[in-house]
Amino acid sequence: MGGESNEGEMGFKHGDDESGGIPRVGITSMPLYAKADPFFSSADWDPVVNAAGGFSSSHYHPSMAMDNPGMSCFSHYQPGSGSGFAADMPASLLPYGDCGGGQIGHFLGSDKKGERLIRAGESSHEDHHQVSDDAVLGASPIGKRRLPEAESQWNKKAVEEFQEDPQRGSDQSQKKHKNDQSKETVNKESSQSEEAPKENYIHMRARRGQATNSHSLAERVRREKISERMRLLQELVPGCNKITGKAVMLDEIINYVQSLQQQVEFLSMKLATVNPEINIDIDRILAKDLLQSRDRNTPTLGLNPFSGFQGTIPNLSTTTNPQYNPLPQTTLESELQNLYQMGFVSNPTTMSSFSPNGRLKPEL
Amino acid sequence: MERQIINKRKRVFSLQPNKNPKALFARRYVSHLVPALKKINMKKSSSKTNHPSFEKTVKHEVDMAFALSAQEFAWSRFLLQKLLSSVHDDPVRTSSSPSEILERSSKKQGGGKHQDRDEEEGGEIKKRLKELQKLLPGGEEMNMEEILSEIGSYIVCLELQMIVLKSIVQDNIS
Repeated sequence: MGGESNEGEMGFKHGDDESGGIPRVGITSMPLYAKADPFFSSADWDPVVNAAGGFSSSHYHPSMAMDNPGMSCFSHYQPGSGSGFAADMPASLLPYGDCGGGQIGHFLGSDKKGERLIRAGESSHEDHHQVSDDAVLGASPIGKRRLPEAESQWNKKAVEEFQEDPQRGSDQSQKKHKNDQSKETVNKESSQSEEAPKENYIHMRARRGQATNSHSLAERVRREKISERMRLLQELVPGCNKITGKAVMLDEIINYVQSLQQQVEFLSMKLATVNPEINIDIDRILAKDLLQSRDRNTPTLGLNPFSGFQGTIPNLSTTTNPQYNPLPQTTLESELQNLYQMGFVSNPTTMSSFSPNGRLKPEL
Repeated sequence: MERQIINKRKRVFSLQPNKNPKALFARRYVSHLVPALKKINMKKSSSKTNHPSFEKTVKHEVDMAFALSAQEFAWSRFLLQKLLSSVHDDPVRTSSSPSEILERSSKKQGGGKHQDRDEEEGGEIKKRLKELQKLLPGGEEMNMEEILSEIGSYIVCLELQMIVLKSIVQDNIS
């Protein structure tokens, strides 16, 4: 396992913008989170691009679709019946129609609406209230300067600026997403943001008819961030596509995490009992893992892994078990068999058709 | 035909597993857990350990491997701290750590304008957030947004851990 570079794999390469001329929008959050991002990217994930050096994630595109089939192992979890909960969510949890297609949401996910990056160097979103108090005073002269220009372009909208504490940025330097409810073009916003490239400002745009004082805008930013995260979590937790409402969603998340933790404890107890005969086959485990997180570019990955695997990861096998069970009865193996028989067709829909019990019948 | 298939398989597996973060986690996890389990095994065979402490040791090693394999996330650091500090006592169960009431999140709820509605929802949501705080290692020190951010990675790592543990257990049973 030498030679792994954490920064290269788990982090984002700043300034390494591979997205090129492709218009991409997305949202980034803290580097803590940004590092977590590869975990969650779906194939549609678009990296955030921005002048100061965006987070480049196209690097991770091919290899990170976490498919729903991965969830099939967690058969014990049954999402409770979610009754609708009318919540005040500015960006309500969108039912993700394509969730079943094998895409797990990602925490820097690209919203279909096209949320935009604000600017580089933006720092944390916490403590909006405190920040905005300071910012209002400081920003008002600036705001006034900008306002005529803004008003010339947008009539009933206001532009607010928030000055962020660069200190907090060091902990969780974030790029905020602009208020995407304003349907103004990216050009206008980016042109305005380019006017103050050195300042750590967030340009927020109020919606028509909405209160535009800094407090409520800050609140709205915060709420939207939270709802964005909730959306991503919704995609992560199985069976939550149709749930709207923060409280119910949180319930589901709690139940899911609890069930996962219980399962882990159960498995570890089981591990204690079988420990004496431990004979771990890393290749097999890793093959399964790779299969789960396979990308679309390797359609033939769904093959019997044992034959080819040893050749590529020789340094990882602690105990090589020459006698592989040809088709161990797990969901993945049956899936492998299925794909093998289907002639190496990349078939994500097959993969996603895992039932919650996890047994995929090979289709002959 | 078989040979082509086999060749294809070999070629396929040259995709860079090191770049895949999930593979990375799983690899790290296994690399932490397996030697630890082997050590436990050897100790067990050499000395006579009573059953409950053996299970606890295994659980501890499982948690350690988990925390060590995901160093990028805040919760893993918290978990590591907890585990290391409690190494002399009973190993900490991740699912049942007492939590303190976090004042910050309650301050942030309810902007003052839509107070009635928000307070109702805020109350419900607060309750659940507290629950979530208990579940997530280090959750007590996070505010709502951090929790939501961290919980995603936590979920994914838990799932990966489950896969690894399941395969280990199954391999040894069959």
